[in-house]
Amino acid sequence: MGLDNLSAHKRTSAAALPTTNARPRSAPRGRQIQKTFNNIKITILCGFVTILVLRGTIGVNLSSSDADAVNQSIIEETNRILAEIRSDSDPDDPSDNDTTFSLNATAAATFSLGPKISDWDQQRQQWLQQNPEYPNIVRGKARILLLTGSPPKPCDNPIGDHYLLKSIKNKIDYCRLHGIEIVYNLAHLDKELAGYWAKLPMIRRLMLSHPEVEWIWWMDSDAFFTDMVFELPLSKYDDYNLVLHGYPDLLFEQKSWIAVNTGSFLFRNCQWSLDLLDDWAPMGPKGPVREEAGKVLTANLKGRPAFEADDQSALIYLLLSKKEKWMDKVFLENSYYLHGYWAGLVDRYEEMAEKYHPGLGDERWPFVTHFVGCKPCGSYGDYPVERCLSSMERAFNFADNQVLKLYGFQHRGLLSPKIKRIRNETVTPLEYVDQFDIRRPSTVRSES
Amino acid sequence: MLTRFLGARRVRQIRRAFRHGAVTFLCLFLTVVVLRGTIGAGKFGTPQQDFDNLRHHLNSHRRVLEEQNSEKTTATTNNYVTFDMSTILVDEPLGKDEITRDPNAPYTLGPKITDWDQQRKRWLQQNPNFPNFIAPNKPRVLLVTGSSPKPCENPVGDHYLLKSIKNKIDYCRVHAIEIFYNFALFDAEMAGFWAKLPLIRKLLLSHPEVEILWWMDSDAMFTDMAFEVPWERYKDHNFVLHGWNEMVYDEKNWIGLNTGSFLLRNCQWALDILDSWAPMGPKGKIRDEAGKLLTRELKNRPVFEADDQSAMVYLLATERDKWGDKVYLENAYYLHGYWGILVDRYEEMIDNYHPGLGDHRWPLVTHFVGCKPCGKFGDYPVERCLRQMDRAYNFGDNQILQMYGFTHNSLASKRVKRVRNESSNPLGVKDELGLLHPAFKAVRLPVSSS
Repeated sequence: MGLDNLSAHKRTSAAALPTTNARPRSAPRGRQIQKTFNNIKITILCGFVTILVLRGTIGVNLSSSDADAVNQSIIEETNRILAEIRSDSDPDDPSDNDTTFSLNATAAATFSLGPKISDWDQQRQQWLQQNPEYPNIVRGKARILLLTGSPPKPCDNPIGDHYLLKSIKNKIDYCRLHGIEIVYNLAHLDKELAGYWAKLPMIRRLMLSHPEVEWIWWMDSDAFFTDMVFELPLSKYDDYNLVLHGYPDLLFEQKSWIAVNTGSFLFRNCQWSLDLLDDWAPMGPKGPVREEAGKVLTANLKGRPAFEADDQSALIYLLLSKKEKWMDKVFLENSYYLHGYWAGLVDRYEEMAEKYHPGLGDERWPFVTHFVGCKPCGSYGDYPVERCLSSMERAFNFADNQVLKLYGFQHRGLLSPKIKRIRNETVTPLEYVDQFDIRRPSTVRSES
Repeated sequence: MLTRFLGARRVRQIRRAFRHGAVTFLCLFLTVVVLRGTIGAGKFGTPQQDFDNLRHHLNSHRRVLEEQNSEKTTATTNNYVTFDMSTILVDEPLGKDEITRDPNAPYTLGPKITDWDQQRKRWLQQNPNFPNFIAPNKPRVLLVTGSSPKPCENPVGDHYLLKSIKNKIDYCRVHAIEIFYNFALFDAEMAGFWAKLPLIRKLLLSHPEVEILWWMDSDAMFTDMAFEVPWERYKDHNFVLHGWNEMVYDEKNWIGLNTGSFLLRNCQWALDILDSWAPMGPKGKIRDEAGKLLTRELKNRPVFEADDQSAMVYLLATERDKWGDKVYLENAYYLHGYWGILVDRYEEMIDNYHPGLGDHRWPLVTHFVGCKPCGKFGDYPVERCLRQMDRAYNFGDNQILQMYGFTHNSLASKRVKRVRNESSNPLGVKDELGLLHPAFKAVRLPVSSS
């Protein structure tokens, strides 16, 4: 074996030597070149095959394929369109920045909501007599029109629009149960009175166009009905023309800027209201007028931060400064939550559901839960987002449960959009209709 | 250089070894990749997983940035734009008092009722305050529409849903129609387009005072505010849909009628047809199998699971004797108007015609079939859909705004301009279309003065 090894070794080394020594110098050049070419060929071929296979399997490509390009362009186009829709700019409008800032202080004196009307009560009475098919009292109840609205462009964030949608559904439900008509305003009727002031020209417009409406009820888009059974005690307000939620001591003694709330109030359709609107509007026009008015209000009202004039502070100032003229027809309601500040209410819904029943309207079962300061349609609110949105969801579901009760369903939890069945289907559904329909008289219904 | 250290022969050997090694390595790599592509290689993953990982990796960079932004205030962020809605909604499990259907039993909308007409008649007699006709020839109508309770996937989807419901609120206020906006899924098995069936049945049975239930999709808008549906025409019918007799009964075309906007009378017949309509709906195998049957039987129907519209075409075509005499396929006006052929002609309509016609000259309803503004992808380009929905909305809104003396600056504009001056005699001024106090809204019932 050792000899074999030796001979093998000798053979290889013998074989090795001649090849190193015997190869001539010039021929290796040609063969080397050929070898190099072969190597390159193989390398390119393999590289090519690799790339092909990789493209086919995991899609690693240096230039984007068709499908990706299409997707990319769809995404870009969508973003462009969304940005356009969200912007306030209009395709045909010239920029009207100049016109608004051309307003000066004299504009305050000349600004008006419309030509002065002084005989509205008579005009209205006459019209009602001539149009008996449009009475202002239907089935013993005065006709009410609920007015609400939001800006015409999409919210700064999609969650805002979603809660606007839930809010209007909530109002649709309450108003259907109580025979109230709704007007949802998405237009700025008066460029000067934009923002929270936009309700004034709209209220006036609706009063004059709908003489059959006895009460106009303004409600903010961030206010939710949470008591679906409660009915406004209109007979309490026979001698009054403006019903606001507020406290007399906060208003007259403390002069607080949150003494009343203009997020949910009632205006009777009459001459007095037109006059009040005319007196209320002057602090509204956008620009220097509003800014100056804001300073006056901050100086005179307790606790008011410095910002431009808002309708609520302006009304408080008006009621304080011209008390004798207006206050005798203003009802400051606080026996139920015509406006209910959300922070003190939303955590107690489960407790309310256990201990009380709908129809009370007060702190035991609030009529309206108003999410002041949350501003879900904007980018920033005054409170943490999670608190605001989860509370709004709870308020919405709390109210929705009262509507769904007739149909035998409830939400799975106050934070859950899903519902669960709590009553079997039956072949005699009308007995439950008698029991649970909110519109039926309460003697037939069982309170629960 | 190496030759000096190792010897030329060694170097060549090494080079050869390298070459061989490289070729072997390359071939091995190719094999593995091809194998991954074809049969997958277990924990070494598949190309699809690679792709997902890459995408995830790229996206996570962005998410990390966003999270870092909000991490400063964590649970107390005041910024809505970066907030993730899904952290609030809680999907609670089955409650203790929840009633569920027996999954083994065949699907029904509810226990069979056979005397609904008598039950309802008795109830109406006992409740004269809730009449089913609010004026001679004017039945009490409930318009039913709805959408998903969760935010739309598309960021502007909810905004268009809001405009759509405002549009319906306006029409219904002018025409004295009540609205029910549904967010609830009454029956998880009948999800998607079938969700309207359990909802409609539930509403019919819970609201005996409602004479006609008008279902309308959330992507349909009213574009003729002055048109009043000719209720008298349907006094002998129970089901009114937009469609053509020939296309449904003769051709069995799957778009021979449209279930995006239809009228259904509250009666026993309606409960029966809902029961016959429902069996193709339950999610899963039943719906898929039914879909195949419908694609086979109906003309031009693409392949997908059973939808309520195709099922109705099939039901009417195969059981014409049973249902046909009470079904009215309306095409004299656009109870449903396919948007594709209408939206470009709005300016022409404004020039040549006027509201109140309801037909091709001035459509009652413009229905944005296929646009799906609430979802991420529709059947049409996003720009066309959203722009045209804006135009249709403004076209309808102009008719409402003219009551108050305003109109949109143009069909594409959100801004409005005054077209009628304020007057000191507002009651002397009538609006052009007579929508402020139309005859069809007038109260004809005795008015109590208590």
